[in-house]
Amino acid sequence: MLLSLAARRRVLLVGGKGGVGKTSIASAVALDRARSGARVLLVSSDPAHNLAHLWDRPVGADPTPVVEAAGHGGGGRLDAVEIDPEETVERHLAGVEATMLAMLPERMHGPARDHLRLARTAPGTHESAVLERLADLVGRGLEEYDLVVVDTAPTGHTLRLLALPDQLTSWADGLLANRDRAERFGAAVRGLGGGEADVDRDAELRRVLHRRRRRFALLRDVVVDADRTAFVAVTVAERLPVAETLELVEALDRLSIPVGCVVVNRRSPADAGEVLALRHGREADQLAMLRRGLEGRDVQQVPLVGREVVGVDGLSVLVDAMTSPPPG
Amino acid sequence: MPSSSTGPDARTPTDRLRERWGAFVDGLSEFYHAPYRQTFARAKRDEDDHFMLVVLADALGVPDPAAYHSLELLPAVYPEFHAWHRRLGLDRSPLEHVGCC
Repeated sequence: MLLSLAARRRVLLVGGKGGVGKTSIASAVALDRARSGARVLLVSSDPAHNLAHLWDRPVGADPTPVVEAAGHGGGGRLDAVEIDPEETVERHLAGVEATMLAMLPERMHGPARDHLRLARTAPGTHESAVLERLADLVGRGLEEYDLVVVDTAPTGHTLRLLALPDQLTSWADGLLANRDRAERFGAAVRGLGGGEADVDRDAELRRVLHRRRRRFALLRDVVVDADRTAFVAVTVAERLPVAETLELVEALDRLSIPVGCVVVNRRSPADAGEVLALRHGREADQLAMLRRGLEGRDVQQVPLVGREVVGVDGLSVLVDAMTSPPPG
Repeated sequence: MPSSSTGPDARTPTDRLRERWGAFVDGLSEFYHAPYRQTFARAKRDEDDHFMLVVLADALGVPDPAAYHSLELLPAVYPEFHAWHRRLGLDRSPLEHVGCC
């Protein structure tokens, strides 16, 4: 069961093919937890943000209160945030530029600015900014909230994003090892009566690398920790989404990211007219295919709801649907 | 020479001998140390050059998945850039927008 799973974890990563209802499911889980008295941070890492549309209220690039004083004791709350990669890139580059201009002679300022301007549009910059912000928010979420729910981008993006913390930790480790060797050789040169060390410069490089490493390593460790984290793969019982979900689960296994449950969203009812009954039958075939591929993993069906899932009222209906028994 | 301490007359033969002996010992120590120092200095420079290459990879056209973060290391290595590309045997700056020479 998705809702009881959420009660036992600190971080939920909600992902799947585009258009299957990731944002609705992530939001409904977050709402349910907040109403149970938990402090919940709901993060959207999808560049095409939907949280504000879904909750029908403004959501910013910093945690914005969406539900307050929920639950019996009133201690439950839900803050939502939409990651803004543009803003993160700007802030990052502004920081680098300030350091650079302070360190470089006047005549190098032009080239330095040009270099940064080119970096802004380089491929991968956007993705790295999303990751940086996500690492920040997850770190903060673990300290200040009971649960972090991440509404991720469609499958491909998310898989790349989840592989990055590990790669970047290795990157920082590699460069730190390089600095250690350089430092030892430098010390040997000085011991033999030569050379002078640029201690400030080396200390700065190490400081930057250590800070990065800490952040990546935190995210890397959290996403593979089955005690704290679960990936929730959302799909619908149709051919393409089912195929993609099976591939997603396989890829997550390879990355050692624990798959907590697979949600089959918008399941058609068998008793609400001929068209929906036909759909229900076809979906049952796809569902059987999905279950075979998942080899006994937890599958939760969420029935199609009649009303539009918008705002707290709409999401409440979805939460109720999640707790009702599956059709047929 | 006005200063008596550096004048040749002020020094006794023993002093002169001690001075020469000192210079000889220094020279000997340099003779033995210099090759090692050079080896270590070269090893350090190789590490520094490698570091520079990693930080500039993306700007040089080598796809770097960590480019966004390498950028943060740039301020500290930028001043070394000119010496670096000369060492690599490139007379002119390999980065179009950095006309350091």
